Amino acid sequence: MVALLLLATPLTGCFGTGMPREEVIVSGSTTLLPIAEVAGEMFAEEHPGVSILVSGMGSSAGIESVTNGSSDIGTSSRELKESEKETGLDDTPVAYDAIAVIVHPDNPVTGLSTMDVRAIFSGVITNWSQLGGPDMEIGLVNRDEASGTREAFAKIIMDDARFDIGAVILPGTGQVRAVVSEVPGAIGYISLGFVTDEVRAVAIDGVEPSEEAVISGTYPVQRVLHFFTRGEVGQSAAEYIEYVLSPAVQETIVRDAGFIPITAKEALGD
Amino acid sequence: MGKRWSNRIALGVLWACGLITVAALGAVIVYVFVRGIGQITPEFIFTKPHGVNAEGGIGPTIWATLYVTGLSMVIVTPIAVLAAVYLAEYAVQGRLVNAIRFAADTLASVPSIVMGLFGFAFFVEAMGFKFSVLSGALALSFLMLPIVMRATEEAIRAVPKYIRWGSYGLGASKWQTVSRIVLPAALPRILTGIILAMGRAVGETAVVIFTMGQAIYLPLSPLDPGRSMTVHLYTLAMEGINMDAAYGTALLLMVMVLFFNLSARWLAARNRRLR
Amino acid sequence: MTDPHGRDEATPVSAGSGLKMMSRATYLKEALLKNVFLLCAVMAVAGVALIFLFVGYRGWPVIQNPGLGAFLFGAEWSATYGKFGIAPLVTGTLVVTIGALLLGAPLAIGTAVFLSEIATPGIRRIVRPAVEMLAGVPSVVFGFFGLVIIRPIAAEMTGGMGFGALSASVILAVMIVPTIATLTEDALRSVVPGIREASYAMGATTWQTIYKVLLPAAKIGIIDAIILGMGRAIGETMAVVMVAGNAPQFFKGLGAPIATVTSQIVIDMSYASGDHRTALFGLAIILFMISMGLVALVRALSRLNAKRS
Repeated sequence: MVALLLLATPLTGCFGTGMPREEVIVSGSTTLLPIAEVAGEMFAEEHPGVSILVSGMGSSAGIESVTNGSSDIGTSSRELKESEKETGLDDTPVAYDAIAVIVHPDNPVTGLSTMDVRAIFSGVITNWSQLGGPDMEIGLVNRDEASGTREAFAKIIMDDARFDIGAVILPGTGQVRAVVSEVPGAIGYISLGFVTDEVRAVAIDGVEPSEEAVISGTYPVQRVLHFFTRGEVGQSAAEYIEYVLSPAVQETIVRDAGFIPITAKEALGD
Repeated sequence: MGKRWSNRIALGVLWACGLITVAALGAVIVYVFVRGIGQITPEFIFTKPHGVNAEGGIGPTIWATLYVTGLSMVIVTPIAVLAAVYLAEYAVQGRLVNAIRFAADTLASVPSIVMGLFGFAFFVEAMGFKFSVLSGALALSFLMLPIVMRATEEAIRAVPKYIRWGSYGLGASKWQTVSRIVLPAALPRILTGIILAMGRAVGETAVVIFTMGQAIYLPLSPLDPGRSMTVHLYTLAMEGINMDAAYGTALLLMVMVLFFNLSARWLAARNRRLR
Repeated sequence: MTDPHGRDEATPVSAGSGLKMMSRATYLKEALLKNVFLLCAVMAVAGVALIFLFVGYRGWPVIQNPGLGAFLFGAEWSATYGKFGIAPLVTGTLVVTIGALLLGAPLAIGTAVFLSEIATPGIRRIVRPAVEMLAGVPSVVFGFFGLVIIRPIAAEMTGGMGFGALSASVILAVMIVPTIATLTEDALRSVVPGIREASYAMGATTWQTIYKVLLPAAKIGIIDAIILGMGRAIGETMAVVMVAGNAPQFFKGLGAPIATVTSQIVIDMSYASGDHRTALFGLAIILFMISMGLVALVRALSRLNAKRS
């Protein structure tokens, strides 16, 4: 609980001299932390007198804090549980988080099933030849346990299977991508928005990862990131949510963080 | 014959050792310089990072680094200097002095990650200073204490005895002698020690990451949090998205550390010439 | 930094100058000041005690959960499953430390001998500052250098991803060179010059003098240097965490990822809570006791040396 204070301490956005008149308290998912924080900073610059206090303590804590009223907005990288639905929270989806499974561009394996990926990351399959590829050892690249991407990957792909402890643990997306782009046998996973030509994202269960596939829901390794509120929302909080859904945030910050804008759905003509 | 040859080979190997060591330093400096120099602009140094991938400058991290280093120096200097005065001028060899020296040696070799966790448990949590420049400075001062203490003690011991006798002969008390004669004479070497300790503090990561926090913030009050340049470099390098800024940060960090080291050397050299 | 030789542990410089007349006020002031200085000096002791007590206090509950045996000898470290056995981390530290010493100690001792016996004053003026400045390079810069330069080379050599014992050992080896080289040079310098001359006079070559006369004479000092270098390698954190790969598994080869006691603390500390955090403090107190033990060992050896000569 206390742990994520490391990331959470800054009262970002109140560099100015005058005391802010109004505070909007946002807490919850660490995955959403960078978006909520940077958007909060920009919002505060445009709205002097308002400060957005963002902290990341995990989705469950965020949902709990908005339920009991200690936060204005609870951010979450998971859906509500049955028990949480009864509390009557309002849901505002803000972004898609899709995870691409990436390999070296020269790797001839272009598609894997969810089960294959699970077997690879739990250390059951250790050689690409077992998947119809060349006789080459699989180099596993995993994320650290503090990572929201790892959390999502574990939930969607791994189910009850355990990660192989022999995997290289890297605490950052860019490093995972850099290593996979250099090592022929490597496999890792990163947010779809960070996939570049240096690596290749494989199709999962026959679906190529793409923005369209994520929005239509056919690409399996994805989740929706939410803002939850309860009942009547204060004016500043409502404006902040509106701001987060505006192109100024969706097309810049959300994309920079590797996610897919929730507004892309409308753009696609849904 | 064999003797000559084995001598030549062995000397060659020893030359190689010296060269490899110099080359290792050279490689690090040259690499960081070449990759980082293109990043260094006034914006990079003075503006604050923005966006999720910390584009833009690293201004607040430079400030936080200087702030925490300066504050720890202010905290540690009086204690370390007076402690050294005790060891050099007053103490008589015994159990207590032994314990003090053993403790100083231990402090000097405690891994910085242990100091970081201690600072977190004690200053951040127990004392309630939160993640702040103050917590960072206090934790760093534990690290700097033995360095400044050692340098000061050696500096005091290097002051010739006859200078003291002169002072006593004029009827000065011990404290008068120490404060007006010995410490001024030892000052350049003490400063050298302080500067070296500051260089060490600038380059420290594991201590400040758990005491000052990782939030990019421009700390004004000592109770504000901040992210040091070392923590920024670590984060950027491991995140691996904005590597350009990582190279730039590494270069500025090296420049700062080298500045402290070189000024300490310069001071020491000048002092030797003056004698 | 910890230099057991360069110091004169004898009596204070001005001992015996107490034979003076002074007023009562002056006497009181002097006595008061002396106690203030003493208090400052005792701060070092208090600091060590504080670190030991606080880190120990936070780590102590590992005795109950998972229990001392399961903590020290447990073969699995997995926060998700609540397993906090540190054996893989301790072996990881052991492996990279041995690797660093195998590579770094000969290089450092060679450099020290080069500096004290071979280099001309001009060359020495370049090499010695380089050694000292190497000690000042921040460990995160070494780690960064290791990540972008050493790791890809290690990947080529081992066929893996380059994260692991090899990269970590190479980086650590460079980092311990200054510690070992400086102290070894001090030890060589403190060898009485007479035996050098005697050796040369008997027709010995430079190399024969070095390895038959000087190195044996400076033996204890060199051992001290290696022990302190070892301490630095065991405690080094940021550089290791950036190149080790941080997989808490037992040693599987030079190219396989590995975690050390220090790297695991950094990776986990940002999100650990409850028993997990307690276990991290448990690791820290073990590191503390190791470094204190090494300092005690060095001091004991130096005393032995002083008594012998």
